[in-house]
Amino acid sequence: MLAYVTRRLAYGVAVVFGVLMVLFLLFFTIATPDDIARRALGEKARQSSIDQWKANHGYDRPLWPSLSERGLRDNLLVDHYQRMLTFDFGLSDVDGVPIGERLARGAPASLALMVPLFLLETTLAIAVGLFVAVFRSTYIDRAGVFACVLVMSLPILLQIIGAQYLIAKLLSWFPLSGFAFEPDVIARFLALPVLVGVVSGIGGEVRFLRTVFVEETSRDYVRTARAKGASEIRVMLRHVLRNSLIPVLTRVLLTIPFLFTGSLLLEAFFGIPGLGGITVDAINANDFATLRVMVFIGALAFVITQIITDVSYALVDPRVRLE
Amino acid sequence: MRASRLALAAFAAIASLACNNSPYSEAESGEKVIYGAFNDAPRRLDVSEAYDVVAHSFTGLVHDKLLEYHYLKRPYELIPGLALEVPKAEPQPDGGVVYHFHMRSGVRFSSDPCFELAGPGVRTREATTRDIAFQLERLADPALEVQVRDAFLNVAGFEAFMQRLAARRQADPAFAKEPAHKQYEAVGGIEGVRTPSPDELEIRLTRAYPQILYWFALEFTSPIAWESVQYYDGEQGRPLFRDWAVGTGPFRLAVYDKQARVTFVKNENWWGLHAENAQSAPSAFYPSEGEPADLANGLLDPRYVGQRLPFADRLEFRRDKESIPAFHKFLQGYYDRTGIIRESFDQVVRNDRISPEMAARGVRLSSTVGPGWFYLGFNMEDAVVGAKGGERAKKLRQAMSLAIDSQQWIDLFLNGRGIPAESMIPPGLFGYEPETRNPYRRLDLARARELLAEAGYPGGIDPATAKPLRLSFDVYVTNTQQKLQDEYFVSEWRKLGLDIELKVTTYNEFQNKVQRLAYQVFFWGWSADYPDVENFLFLDSCDYRRSTVGGPNTSNFCDARFERLFREMRVRDNDERRLAIIREMRSILEEERPHIELYHPEDFLLVHGWLHNVKQFGMSNPMVKYYDVDPALRTSQRSAWNRPIRWPAYGLGLALVIGMVPAFVAFFRERQ
Repeated sequence: MLAYVTRRLAYGVAVVFGVLMVLFLLFFTIATPDDIARRALGEKARQSSIDQWKANHGYDRPLWPSLSERGLRDNLLVDHYQRMLTFDFGLSDVDGVPIGERLARGAPASLALMVPLFLLETTLAIAVGLFVAVFRSTYIDRAGVFACVLVMSLPILLQIIGAQYLIAKLLSWFPLSGFAFEPDVIARFLALPVLVGVVSGIGGEVRFLRTVFVEETSRDYVRTARAKGASEIRVMLRHVLRNSLIPVLTRVLLTIPFLFTGSLLLEAFFGIPGLGGITVDAINANDFATLRVMVFIGALAFVITQIITDVSYALVDPRVRLE
Repeated sequence: MRASRLALAAFAAIASLACNNSPYSEAESGEKVIYGAFNDAPRRLDVSEAYDVVAHSFTGLVHDKLLEYHYLKRPYELIPGLALEVPKAEPQPDGGVVYHFHMRSGVRFSSDPCFELAGPGVRTREATTRDIAFQLERLADPALEVQVRDAFLNVAGFEAFMQRLAARRQADPAFAKEPAHKQYEAVGGIEGVRTPSPDELEIRLTRAYPQILYWFALEFTSPIAWESVQYYDGEQGRPLFRDWAVGTGPFRLAVYDKQARVTFVKNENWWGLHAENAQSAPSAFYPSEGEPADLANGLLDPRYVGQRLPFADRLEFRRDKESIPAFHKFLQGYYDRTGIIRESFDQVVRNDRISPEMAARGVRLSSTVGPGWFYLGFNMEDAVVGAKGGERAKKLRQAMSLAIDSQQWIDLFLNGRGIPAESMIPPGLFGYEPETRNPYRRLDLARARELLAEAGYPGGIDPATAKPLRLSFDVYVTNTQQKLQDEYFVSEWRKLGLDIELKVTTYNEFQNKVQRLAYQVFFWGWSADYPDVENFLFLDSCDYRRSTVGGPNTSNFCDARFERLFREMRVRDNDERRLAIIREMRSILEEERPHIELYHPEDFLLVHGWLHNVKQFGMSNPMVKYYDVDPALRTSQRSAWNRPIRWPAYGLGLALVIGMVPAFVAFFRERQ
């Protein structure tokens, strides 16, 4: 097990280094420091301002290492790796705010949205998946399939705008958008984005879980349990759900990175100042420094989650041996 | 039983949430609060570096300027702000010019902890001309990202100060860590900026540059306290100076979370609260004069004329990145004013008037044509369409100009939000003459074809290749709508037989092409920093060519006669001679056609009935101090428009329960 974990960690490190190189090529060679400066300063900036900006932001250094002693250290490639790997992300290209500080401010808002959304969606998807599996081939199952396909077919943007118009504007149940980290009002602000997030994501989840549960309910041990007089609830929760945990876990854990990176559209449309919104802002404002960090954080979270997922297989299923 | 109790409690909790759709955590009080939205986060609040519209809409509330604009009069007119009067240029024997500003006394900074640097318990101090000189020195500081630095290069010693500061910092790293004001003092300040006394400021320019006065009506030259620059350093929980603002303006910053919320409250230290009268302090009182239409629009209401500003107690801005939710929140009454989203334009505006449905809700429509200009440009360095192509290229440009119908384009793609441009000079500026008719800015395909034939391209055919003349049209496009807009031009030019290749590029690609001069026709625009015609005509000056100095003259137009006239025009006051020069310059551009004038953008604003005195200004200077609000009317309207409708929730729940009953019955029967 230790050897396996070590090997997976080593792969993870290699992937992270690779991601950093791709990021560097994308952000520094395709968009040169001159381009970055011009985008940050705007159309009216003169070359002298652009040169000054590059010097202030350290973009006036060479891209690649050279053989001299200074050239080996003082270049953008080494600086890029150094900053990312030490989590010293530097300043935003656009507004000069420390990116680490910005992440620290955005993460709680993203988590406030994504954690309840994740918990609710996962719980509800498992419950509905089990429910329709119990009632398979009845009109409830067919209605469930219809509802799932319907929400899967509607683009999330349409669902957001539709929910804002119907629920917030016409029915006046929740605010159209907004956010405040105050205990007495935060639920009011999060209710609609969480609802839309759950509805937009639950279709695919339920379809997947239903297939897993239906397959599991046809196994011999389920028939045996029922024959021994176990209640349907006990059969589904104690036997079927437990034995379906590996595919369930794979699917559920893969969504965890998005808890940290936030949801681009939900945050943008519901005015939640989280990491997803920061990413959208960085794209719109051509803030390449922030964008590099956001992509790196996403990749890092993904790699870590993959390792956790692999290790967790052994924890939920004793038959799995990690060697 | 326990589960059902839990379910009931959860339902009750959700039901309690669904009781109001207010996007504000606080209940409305009787306070005069103005609510608004902003979509992009302001980049910086440091007035040296702030150069985006949102940032200016905030910094302008906090910082007073020596000069301001008259709120209602057009063409725009400068009035005294912190200065006692608008200074006159004093020509000097060496060709330079001096301006003497006299600053009013009793101006204090808003209350802020930064002033404790001067002593414990100190929360404010008097602002003097030395604070303005300090800010001018900051504009010259190479460590700051100042985008308007070029405008101050005419101040004597400005560039020398910059060089001295940079050299000293490079030579002495310890010096570079000293507080900014000490560094500036140590290198000796800017030669052309003198403060003989705390209320006197002398600005000496190396050459005549009347436009400098407009820069003293912008926050770049506001008094800045050295204490605020030093105190807000990002340490120990303090924000960076670029993320906070301390000034002498009518409002002070109270909350600044640029991702979500920005709040201003009335500045209790504002000098205007103690100003004597409108004659001595016109920027502290509501004006008594304006445009002829202002009276009819209720902007010269006797209840407000001559009243002391500001009327509002607090300003609340919420960030809404997307325009659709922001617009709906306006319709719910949660924002007091808004622009109009494309999707709802027909719903709210009909025949340039507010729709009856909106009018019934008390919503007013305000529109203004701001000092901006959009055009199709030709690269005058190009051999085919540019100056190198001589008379032939000129006729080609003229023909292409005659093929574009601006009005149709505005109607098709902008919902009519713009007026066709006959020249680059927009309404509201001296030199704009509404009766002007540009002979090449009308749709005349027959004449265009004649000109093409005269240019040697009969039917659009290039004799060198015996094929339609192929030109590239470079556009920087971010969405499908923009691409459709650009394809319109291509289809119009194709009617002349020309083969126009639409080259959709990224911003970077286009910039690279501009640098390499590898472009022929392009789409561009310009928004003025200040309302002087010089800020438009310089776009065709040789001194500002993109190809030589990286300036904003993207057409790279350079004409000796135009240049001579430009140099004479830019140093003159707005008089008859200046108007005559402008007319002559305009006629050169009409004939030479370095660009095809398209339109001047028109901004539409929707305003609720409870918000008074709103006149769009056209530039980024915020005019909120002139607005008044009726909170009682707003409260009653909001509650009438936002009553929750709950029955669909109960109906849906009931339908779900009823729908499942047969399945449960069948299932348990089977299990029995």
